[in-house]
Amino acid sequence: MNTMNPSISAEADMQDQGPAIPVRENNPEDTVIEEGKTVGKPFAADPKFKLRNVSVSYGKDRAIKDISLDIGRNEVISFIGPSGCGKSTFLRCLNRMNDSIDICRVTGELLLDDEDIYHSKRDVVELRARVGMVFQKPNPFPKSIYDNVAYGPRIHGLANRKSDLDDIVENSLRKAGLWDEAKDRLDSIATGMSGGQQQRLCIARAIAVSPEVILMDEPCSALDPIATARVEELIAEMSESYTIVIVTHSMQQAARVSHRTAYFHLGHLVEVNETNKVFTSPEHQLTESYITGRFG
Amino acid sequence: MSNQSSQAEIVRNSLNRRYRKERRFRLYGMLAIFIALAALATLFVDIIYKGHSGFVKTTITLDVPLDPEMMYLDDPTDADQLSMADFVAPIIAALQEHIPEAETAGQKRELGRLLGSYAASEVRDLLENNPDLLGTTQTIEFLAHDRVSTYVKHADNPRYSIKLSEQQQRWVDQLLEKGVIDTSFNDVLFSRGDSREPANAGILGAIVGSLLTMLVTLAIAFPVGIAAAVYLEEFAPQNKFTDFIEVNINNLAAVPSIIFGLLGLAVFIGLFGMPRSVPVVGGMVLALMTLPTIIISSRAAIKSVPPSIREAAEGVGASKMQVVLHHVIPLAMPGMLTGSIIGMAQALGETAPLLLIGMVAFIVDVPGGFFDSATVLPVQIYLWASASEQGFVELASAGIMVLLTFMISMNALAIWLRKRLERRW
Amino acid sequence: MPDKKDDVYGDHISHKFNDELMALKSEFLEMGGMVESQVDRAITALVENDGYLADEVRATDKKVDQKEIEIDEEATLILARRQPTARDLRLVVSVIKMVSDLERVGDEAKKIAKFAIKLSEEGQAPRGYVEVRHIGNHVLSMLHDSLDAFARLDSEQALRIMKEDKRVDEEYQAATRTLLTFMMEDTRNISRCMSVMWILRALERVGDHACNIAENVIFMVKGEDVRHTPVEEAEKVVGR
Repeated sequence: MNTMNPSISAEADMQDQGPAIPVRENNPEDTVIEEGKTVGKPFAADPKFKLRNVSVSYGKDRAIKDISLDIGRNEVISFIGPSGCGKSTFLRCLNRMNDSIDICRVTGELLLDDEDIYHSKRDVVELRARVGMVFQKPNPFPKSIYDNVAYGPRIHGLANRKSDLDDIVENSLRKAGLWDEAKDRLDSIATGMSGGQQQRLCIARAIAVSPEVILMDEPCSALDPIATARVEELIAEMSESYTIVIVTHSMQQAARVSHRTAYFHLGHLVEVNETNKVFTSPEHQLTESYITGRFG
Repeated sequence: MSNQSSQAEIVRNSLNRRYRKERRFRLYGMLAIFIALAALATLFVDIIYKGHSGFVKTTITLDVPLDPEMMYLDDPTDADQLSMADFVAPIIAALQEHIPEAETAGQKRELGRLLGSYAASEVRDLLENNPDLLGTTQTIEFLAHDRVSTYVKHADNPRYSIKLSEQQQRWVDQLLEKGVIDTSFNDVLFSRGDSREPANAGILGAIVGSLLTMLVTLAIAFPVGIAAAVYLEEFAPQNKFTDFIEVNINNLAAVPSIIFGLLGLAVFIGLFGMPRSVPVVGGMVLALMTLPTIIISSRAAIKSVPPSIREAAEGVGASKMQVVLHHVIPLAMPGMLTGSIIGMAQALGETAPLLLIGMVAFIVDVPGGFFDSATVLPVQIYLWASASEQGFVELASAGIMVLLTFMISMNALAIWLRKRLERRW
Repeated sequence: MPDKKDDVYGDHISHKFNDELMALKSEFLEMGGMVESQVDRAITALVENDGYLADEVRATDKKVDQKEIEIDEEATLILARRQPTARDLRLVVSVIKMVSDLERVGDEAKKIAKFAIKLSEEGQAPRGYVEVRHIGNHVLSMLHDSLDAFARLDSEQALRIMKEDKRVDEEYQAATRTLLTFMMEDTRNISRCMSVMWILRALERVGDHACNIAENVIFMVKGEDVRHTPVEEAEKVVGR
């Protein structure tokens, strides 16, 4: 390329060879994060969840370090971050799923509609009826499809008559986009369905008790792309009537389904921003490094 | 390139050696299984060989003239007369019909010894119950004497000593020819209790005793064991104390069973003054012995319930108790049942602790309730196996076969239950 | 300094991804070099009345077009395979946009070369060439600097180019006025002067494209779109 401008070609050559050992300008592992400091927009005007200075510790290990965050009404917010960053732990605080772990201690202020969810008089059963959960692995009960969906309404006594229960089951399955596939085999065992169907059944089971918030802990990590697309479609539909908090390892998924994205790192909430902002121009160096695949 | 090909060469050479090793390894495994199977087969063949004759009884069918004069008896309803009457005479008379050559008193006595010692009382019982039969001639099927039975069944077997005189042997041969002495299925074994006379001894008492004992064991061990397992797995806090309990439960499972017998003797009989040799005490002792097995297997079954199911139930707002009752116990039930049945099977075969609490007594009557003296199958086998009469040896083997049948059916039940209740998730 | 900045695209966990981004970047710079020399030679051909050189410039345009297609394809493949985000996404998207800017610059160079041939056939016309040379050098240095800013991810330099564009516009206005005066002085000059005006116009366009590239560099570095915003706004963005 003798026609090339000499100065530019020199530049280009230099890049081609590059330094033998890459010099990291900002090694993520070295970055010190100031505790309790979150960049972006962690607060909302009319929050469903108002979380202030939340810390979680397992014995001596602090899994969550002083996190403050609002989760808006009918918002889809996704939690992303490398493994072990505390995003699942934080999610599980929202309906006190961590209660069953003896050494787990949650401090700080966690308000759902301005009521303290960790108040000593607060009944966890009532909380979980309001804050449903969908898990990583589809985990239907080894019972019939009908019984799976009807289980929640039954234990909470939501339906007095059989016909009411039938309605709840049908509505929940419809909302979960499973009615057409399942209506002819409501009595067959749920574990016989495909993985994607099972996960949607779990979503139907969660919405059968008409919760206000649905927590999803990596809901698609065990599903194939088509089933994943179905579930994501479902999330988009559900966001009209529910507040959805989703933990995901797939950044593309977070980018597709959520309004806001929160980036967790080693128990810190590093950045919360509009999803569009996070995936085009994140504010924090660590967020950028993570979502562009520089570590994690 | 050459380096690669030479490497392939080395791999190929080592391949044969590896295959040989693998074949050898498989051979060892097959050999081990073969030895185990051979041992088992030998055991079964031996037991069946020894015991099959226990299921056969030898009978002598006679037309007995119930002549009042011969028996010195006019009124069978009179207890005094009954106790004085001679019931052997008509039997010998009936035998003489077939063996006319026996005329002397000695010969008659020898003739009478062909029958079991209960033959006379059989005639007496018949008359006592039916006084009208006096003066008629009745066809009665008597059990042959143990010696006759041994002769009939094992005449050619050198391991059995024939204790009949040559004269008696000749008579037995004659009676066999005439069809008076016959062999048939030994219903006595399954319809009577123990007896001093092998021909008259049955296993029913022991079976009923075992069943009663097992019922007590099941009623105590199953609920207590499952409750303990559920509490330890689901509700107990994780601390030193529960760890201590855990370790001790595991240790208890390894305690020799005779220790439990001593405990039962000291506590139930010594301290609480409960009666000896009754199924209730036996069942309680066996329950203590079975508890650790049931607790350990139930805990394993509870542990194997996937946590995802628990989480799912908690996630829709089930309380801890609902989670346990609706999900954990139903899913763990097959495992719990299997463990319990295997524990029960163990208890069924247990002898040592029962010896200590007196269930080794000689009991003729079939027990009618939990507080009747009773014995159990393995103890009965132990008793027979150590008895001196030859007839008891085959009975012991027959008893072992019955016991094994029980064990196998219980294990089959366990497998069936597991298959039936097991669900995939 | 440049080493460190370059490393921004070179520290992914996936080395293949690093290589792909680096390749995209250097291909783009290569194309930039081609276009830059194309403009340079077009001006030289014009000023020195060199018809051969002008022909050569026109021929080079094919290569530039080819390069544009290659880079677009590479960028598309990166989008499809890697789903880049943030900084990486901005690089790829900017490259796609800047490549079309470069291609247009190539077109402008071709246009200048066409006029150079036309003018050389009509004979020497010194009028206006001073302005052409002047503005030409100016936009050439802008183009060079914008590519340099891209190579070094230097948003401040990019901002300087944006400001520079205003001066080019002013110079263009002044040159047009001068040419208008020539045309009014002597109507025989009109045809030639019109050609020179077209050339000046083309050069001014090159300056605009250089400015676009500079704006894209700012977007790449700062993540904020400064197109169609006043320079003061852009200044604030760069100052952050």
